[in-house]
Amino acid sequence: MTTLIAIGAGIAVLTGIGAGVGIGIATSKAVEAIARQPEAEGKISKALLLGCALAEATAIYGFVIALLIILFLK
Amino acid sequence: MENLAKNLLEELNCDTVFTIPVFGGIPIMESMVVTWGIMLFLILISIILVRDLRTQNISKRQIILETVIGGVYNFFDDLLGKEGRRYIPYLTTVALYLALSNLMGLFGIKPPTKDLNITIALAVMSIVLIEYSGIQAKGTKKWLKSFAEPVAVVAPINVLEIFIKPLSLCMRLFGNILGGFVVMELIKQIVPVILPIPFSFYFDIFDGLIQAYVFVFLTSLFIKEAIE
Repeated sequence: MTTLIAIGAGIAVLTGIGAGVGIGIATSKAVEAIARQPEAEGKISKALLLGCALAEATAIYGFVIALLIILFLK
Repeated sequence: MENLAKNLLEELNCDTVFTIPVFGGIPIMESMVVTWGIMLFLILISIILVRDLRTQNISKRQIILETVIGGVYNFFDDLLGKEGRRYIPYLTTVALYLALSNLMGLFGIKPPTKDLNITIALAVMSIVLIEYSGIQAKGTKKWLKSFAEPVAVVAPINVLEIFIKPLSLCMRLFGNILGGFVVMELIKQIVPVILPIPFSFYFDIFDGLIQAYVFVFLTSLFIKEAIE
């Protein structure tokens, strides 16, 4: 049973892949935009920060579910 | 290893500090007591900072205070527009409370936002505020009709969003703070001397402040959507 719990928790945390790739692509576009127009850096940084925090949330949901699986399944 | 798991599980639970002997005992959790401490601190700071405000011949403290508040109002004006000005005090209070409570990990106290109850309470207050702002700006009938915009078919999705928005807000805050807390505890139990410091910069300070900012930003974004 503990093997299944471990496998389940491991699969749950795989949501981190999506967040990592998504934030990476967003940052690359933001850096390109800043390179193209350095005066707009303030607005671009703000938008990037917000986008990263929102995208990170899905990875955090996976982490929370994995934690719940480990703690509450016997 | 066994010790590690047990210590971690202990830290994850919130202990009851004392019980109010009313209605058969209301247990007061540790996070509640820390919240009271933060409230006391913020109230004391507010009282100290606004003593002796003058119109002429102002002191340096007043200049700094006015600059900060002016900056905050400008920031929220971009987000909320002119009609949203009445919500700025509440949003600023939530931002200050969240920033302070997420930083509690620095002082060795368990951050109160690690407790799911507190994040759920904050998210519920946010959604109540969002719906109230919609009703206040548009009137009840128009607000009810706005659920069917832009096409009538999306009405169930709009109704569902009333539940999903606070859920995502609370889970995001809870998950981030809990994740940071778990990693910091693990590090502290394995290498308690120098290694926690750079990690603490990321998890406690950076992550905590960003999560407070994102919570308030998203709430104000939803309020703006509701006022439109």
